[in-house]
Amino acid sequence: MSSTIITDDQFQHIAKLSRLEIKPEESYIKDQLAQAAKYVDVLKELDTDKVSPTFQVNHKKNVFRDDIITPSFTQSQAISQAPKTKDGYIVTAATIKK
Amino acid sequence: MSDLNKLTIKEAREGLLSKKFSSKELVVDCLSQIKKNASNLNTFVTVCEKESIKSAETADISKPLGGIPVAVKDNFLTLGIRTTASSKLLDKYIAQYDATVVAKLKSAGAIIIGKTNMDAWAHGSSTETSDFGPTKNPWDITRLPGGSSGGSAAAIAADEAIISVGSETAGSIRQPASWSGVVGFKPTYGRVSRYGIIAMKSSTDSPGPICKTVDDAAEVLGIISGHDPFDATSIDEVSWIKPSPLTSLKGIKLGLPLSYFSPQTKPEVKTTILAAAETLKKLGAEIIELSDVLDPKYSIAVYTILQRSEVSSNLARFDGIRYGHDRSYFSEEAKRRIMLGTYSLSAGYYDAYYLKAQKVRTLICQDFDKHFTRVDAMISPISPTTALPVGATKGQSMFGEIQDQLVEPSSIAGLAGISIPCGFDNNGLPIGLNIMAPQLREDIVYQIAKIFEDNTEYHLQRPNL
Repeated sequence: MSSTIITDDQFQHIAKLSRLEIKPEESYIKDQLAQAAKYVDVLKELDTDKVSPTFQVNHKKNVFRDDIITPSFTQSQAISQAPKTKDGYIVTAATIKK
Repeated sequence: MSDLNKLTIKEAREGLLSKKFSSKELVVDCLSQIKKNASNLNTFVTVCEKESIKSAETADISKPLGGIPVAVKDNFLTLGIRTTASSKLLDKYIAQYDATVVAKLKSAGAIIIGKTNMDAWAHGSSTETSDFGPTKNPWDITRLPGGSSGGSAAAIAADEAIISVGSETAGSIRQPASWSGVVGFKPTYGRVSRYGIIAMKSSTDSPGPICKTVDDAAEVLGIISGHDPFDATSIDEVSWIKPSPLTSLKGIKLGLPLSYFSPQTKPEVKTTILAAAETLKKLGAEIIELSDVLDPKYSIAVYTILQRSEVSSNLARFDGIRYGHDRSYFSEEAKRRIMLGTYSLSAGYYDAYYLKAQKVRTLICQDFDKHFTRVDAMISPISPTTALPVGATKGQSMFGEIQDQLVEPSSIAGLAGISIPCGFDNNGLPIGLNIMAPQLREDIVYQIAKIFEDNTEYHLQRPNL
């Protein structure tokens, strides 16, 4: 947690990973990220070398259920909220060039 | 009869069952109150006027919540009703199914009167970051109600519904309940299903009731709790059953964590909480000062990292393909949180941020475990301050984290807790008492809260609207 300076390149990279477009007038977010990253440095005060992480507080692990088909959405219900549909399918942006 | 909107569950049910009034009259009074306050308070994103009246006409009042109007936070999916999480990205989204909590409320006979305002995506502690404008505090409309379940808390404070539900990730039930002078019951993580609630920080998201009295909150918790196969973190318990109230707290040890009274704590908040401790002592409890409870400042950092990380993952699904608009509709707060989360999870930073925070979470859990061998429950302020003015969040990228520092540790550890009214500051703004107990000890939380409420009158005071 030593680095609390976020470079422009890093900032753009994070935006890309987040799939967000950051407008020029929102560039102050970069400084806020650095501030937050600096704030959390307080955790360095605590020795956690021999401590295991807790990802889940009620200690559930691998919850299985039988694979039984139960009533679910119809096709029209499933696509009812999609902004673009065609012939009962959801339209997405093309990912492969023709 | 008029002012039926002011009733508690018990009073409303007595009136309905003895036919003093109908469910429709109850609903109409709530709707009138919502309309009267709409421009001042902005508590609801969507009011279900026609649907609620129609449901009231056929309500089965023999059910536990038969014919009772409930205000539902707008991050709970409600079949056929717009569900936005107070974000413009979802401003046209009509939910295709009911959240488990909503299904349970409906099957108990409750009537959804509307969807309450919140911080967009539940990102905040003010209800000021809603894309549909801030909710105002019914006790002083120049102030905020707290958040993120601020619409639900303000709706109850303003008598716009008989009961409400909200969700807490780190304070989002208890803090608005505190600032709005109502009761907010945060159950153990996993006690109430998260299924159908727009995910925020999944590893601590805990839905729960916000109501006028401790008994009402306990009643609602009993109905919405229980194992749900649709939520893998749901605990294998049947619905929670409210225990018998106590007539004395003799034999009960209550811890007072001194680290929860930081220098930022408003003096009136401190004196009010110490006075509440004195009341509990008179009721028989032994008050034990705890001088070595882990400083809540670490929880601010843990919560900040983990919340952002989980948000960056949870909000990745909003791609504008299956529902909602595209990602350009995220407002500033969401963008900031997604980006910090992406940063803390990205290559080279995971160990330093995310993993470190999860390890400190272990220390927080262990610290509670250690102290709960000495005391049955802990009491503290909910918030270091009372309701802050509208505009207080502007330019404050960590407003929520700092405001919620006294409820973050117990949320991070998945504990049971409640906020109950315990006094007022010099401006007449409500102050909430935080009662925290180990996981699955809602029974003792209820019993302490109930005896306090029975012996005080803070919960009976209502704002002048």
